[in-house]
Amino acid sequence: MTLAVLVSSLCKTYQISEVGVEVLKNVGFSAENGEFVVIVGSSGAGKTTLLNIIAGIDKPTSGEVVVFEESLGGRDEDFLAAFRCRNVGFVFQSYNLISTLTVAENVAFPMEWMRKSEEHIRKRVEELLETVGLQHRAEHFSSQLSGGEQQRLAFARALANDPPLILLDEPTANLDTKTGFKIIQIIEKLKENGKTIISATHDERIFKLADKKLHLEDGKLVAPDE
Amino acid sequence: MSETSFPVNDLLRRKLQTSLIAISLVSSVASTVFLLLFADRMGLGISLIVEDKMTSGFSVVFGHFTIFVALLIFIVGAVTASFMVFVMMSQRMRDIGLMKAAGCPNDLVFGYFMTELLIIAFLGCFLGVVLGTLADFALASFFSNAELGIAQGPPNIWGVLLIFVAFFALILIFGAKPILSATEVEPAKALSHTYVLGLTKEHGFKTITKFGFTTRIAVRNLSRRKSATMRILLCMSIIFILLTVVTAGGIIADQTSKSWIEKAVGRDIALIAHHDLCSQYRLLLSEFYEGKQDLPFNYTTEEYLTPETLPQQLSLVANVEKVDQRLVLEAHIREVRSYIFDPETQHRTPVGDDREGEALVIGVDPKVVVSSWFVDGEFLEENSSWEAVVGDSVAQKMFSAPLSQGIRFLNKTFDVKGICVDPINNGNVVYVPLQDLQNTTGISKPNLIVVKISDSANFTETLSQLSLEVSSIDPSFEVFDLDQFLDKDLRFLDYVWSTVRILPFFALATASVCLVGYVMLVLTEQQLEFGVLRAIGVNSGAVVKIVAGQTFIVLLSSYLVATALGIITTLLILVPEPLVTSYTTAEIAAWLLAAWTVIFGFSLYPALKFARKPILEMVNQS
Repeated sequence: MTLAVLVSSLCKTYQISEVGVEVLKNVGFSAENGEFVVIVGSSGAGKTTLLNIIAGIDKPTSGEVVVFEESLGGRDEDFLAAFRCRNVGFVFQSYNLISTLTVAENVAFPMEWMRKSEEHIRKRVEELLETVGLQHRAEHFSSQLSGGEQQRLAFARALANDPPLILLDEPTANLDTKTGFKIIQIIEKLKENGKTIISATHDERIFKLADKKLHLEDGKLVAPDE
Repeated sequence: MSETSFPVNDLLRRKLQTSLIAISLVSSVASTVFLLLFADRMGLGISLIVEDKMTSGFSVVFGHFTIFVALLIFIVGAVTASFMVFVMMSQRMRDIGLMKAAGCPNDLVFGYFMTELLIIAFLGCFLGVVLGTLADFALASFFSNAELGIAQGPPNIWGVLLIFVAFFALILIFGAKPILSATEVEPAKALSHTYVLGLTKEHGFKTITKFGFTTRIAVRNLSRRKSATMRILLCMSIIFILLTVVTAGGIIADQTSKSWIEKAVGRDIALIAHHDLCSQYRLLLSEFYEGKQDLPFNYTTEEYLTPETLPQQLSLVANVEKVDQRLVLEAHIREVRSYIFDPETQHRTPVGDDREGEALVIGVDPKVVVSSWFVDGEFLEENSSWEAVVGDSVAQKMFSAPLSQGIRFLNKTFDVKGICVDPINNGNVVYVPLQDLQNTTGISKPNLIVVKISDSANFTETLSQLSLEVSSIDPSFEVFDLDQFLDKDLRFLDYVWSTVRILPFFALATASVCLVGYVMLVLTEQQLEFGVLRAIGVNSGAVVKIVAGQTFIVLLSSYLVATALGIITTLLILVPEPLVTSYTTAEIAAWLLAAWTVIFGFSLYPALKFARKPILEMVNQS
């Protein structure tokens, strides 16, 4: 198996006023292609920051991140944007949907930016909305959906360009058990399809699906379960 | 949290937004104050027309122009103020929702935001009044140094106060409404994006295909935020109408009014008369830009009458095209009552009164007259008899329907055939056939000769030859160059119009601030969206393009509509018989295009700054 993600000696410090807050301390791990890695840890442990850095949304203070053999260090914003568009599907904890776009448009726009054909976009939108069970909500604004529906829509959007790496930030945290189960079914499907998945979570049902579990505490990886 | 400290701290914390709103209000108030004070200083008060300077026709054009522009500025102020408060409240809608969700009562929330509005309104109005008064003072001093007759003295305090009060009230009225509706909304609604943004969508799912991703996203953003889009369109349209009226109107009115003067005085004209009469004539001509200078003068003194051989001798001088003999005198004139007959109703309506006054009466020979006045009606013809053409000031002051009435002086009545614009004696002039005037007065000789010199000739040289000829016949007679006075008249008009045309800069500043406010609103509202777009893989350049696209669409649509309306208004309402040459059109187009570019460029600054923000900052601050 080839390496999908390699994180080595990663440190991240945020400067808040004059105080430096160390969020990640010398973190290192790897994920192979098709592997499902979960990151667990208490709130404020640095899980979201780690995902953001892997996605190229945030930059590390030191250390290196290599994703699909591309080192993300020192790259400019345009490169990182194009890289994300091709390779990374990110499901944010707070969904981050675009409120002025409808459900269908939210799914369509990453493909539109990639300049896919109109026919391809149409088919893919229908397919993804069916996968996440939102085909009946296609014409609604995203802000008119329930929390669970918004989360499923965020999944559909993350999968729009069929990226090989999926990053999930607490995908079931805001959902009830029943809705959370639907999300877990989607994750299972993704795993079956050979996607590399890295998920920050507290949900034990997700742990069970994982190939690798990382414990992040106070910015440090502790006793990695290789 | 004290009730008074919260609004103050809130305003101070939101420095950029507070400054934008304050600057926009200051700009609107300052423009209005400046215009009012300056118009007043020019003797062209908005409510009354003072006719110390210029002719009444000009006063009317200036009066209409300034009133219309002042009205537009007032509307711009009101709409801008309302729009800015709308921007302010749109940005605070979620805060209001959170305050209410946390249990803050409606009246307290309303009180907080009304206090903010009061502070902003007072600040905007006060600084606007100070800035407007200073601008007026600076320009008045400039005119004073240029030795032109602009009244100095204290500003019209009552006018300033009126503007202050009116604007303050308007801002409060326009501002209170959105605050009231925002505070009356249920907390859940105030927290919802769908409500806050007032989203509406077109039917059916349409994908954005390969081309124009950023443009189409921009169009979608505009079409779905209808309320915000309509407001900015309205605001920008009014600003562009103002800009067009002041720019295009200023240029057209400037050129038209200058052509009136040029036609009345004429080019390459020399005037020959006794030196006392020459001095008096200079005074009469300078009244147009220096105001009334009443000095008793007897025009018909024997020694002022031209020697009999003079006209003949002058016509023999090389390059002399025309010799126009005139008899000038001052007379007590009276309006003659008349009737207007309506053929449909067979009804005769009496018009006129018994108004009377002093005016300059000039007898001319229509065959050889060298001027070609701008005339409403007709000028005298070769066979005209007992007919008169009155100056615009005489028509304005002494007649109800001049073209249907008569004028009486020296015990004779003349039918009024036309009204002309003439700077001499500030338009207090009556032209009659020379023969009739000579018969009435019994004076057989003219006392003034106007000579038209050929365009192709050397003017100075011909003037010297004329001087030699005149002094050889009668040394007490002199030749003077009317072109000097024409240039002074035109220079004065230039100064006046160029001053009025300073107003586009005020309008431009208002427009820029308003648009920056709009871009800020767009960016604040769409911060999360842009952050998400970038997180998904859209680059920062595309975000700038989307914002620029939205701004471009708003500016272009409002610009096209407003420019058309502004030009129609100028041509149909503000300037009678406008003079529009291809040069005028090019000048107007260049100015308006430059203004548009400045506004557009200015509005991009916040977008460029915003696009450099880190993605996480955009997403987390939303």
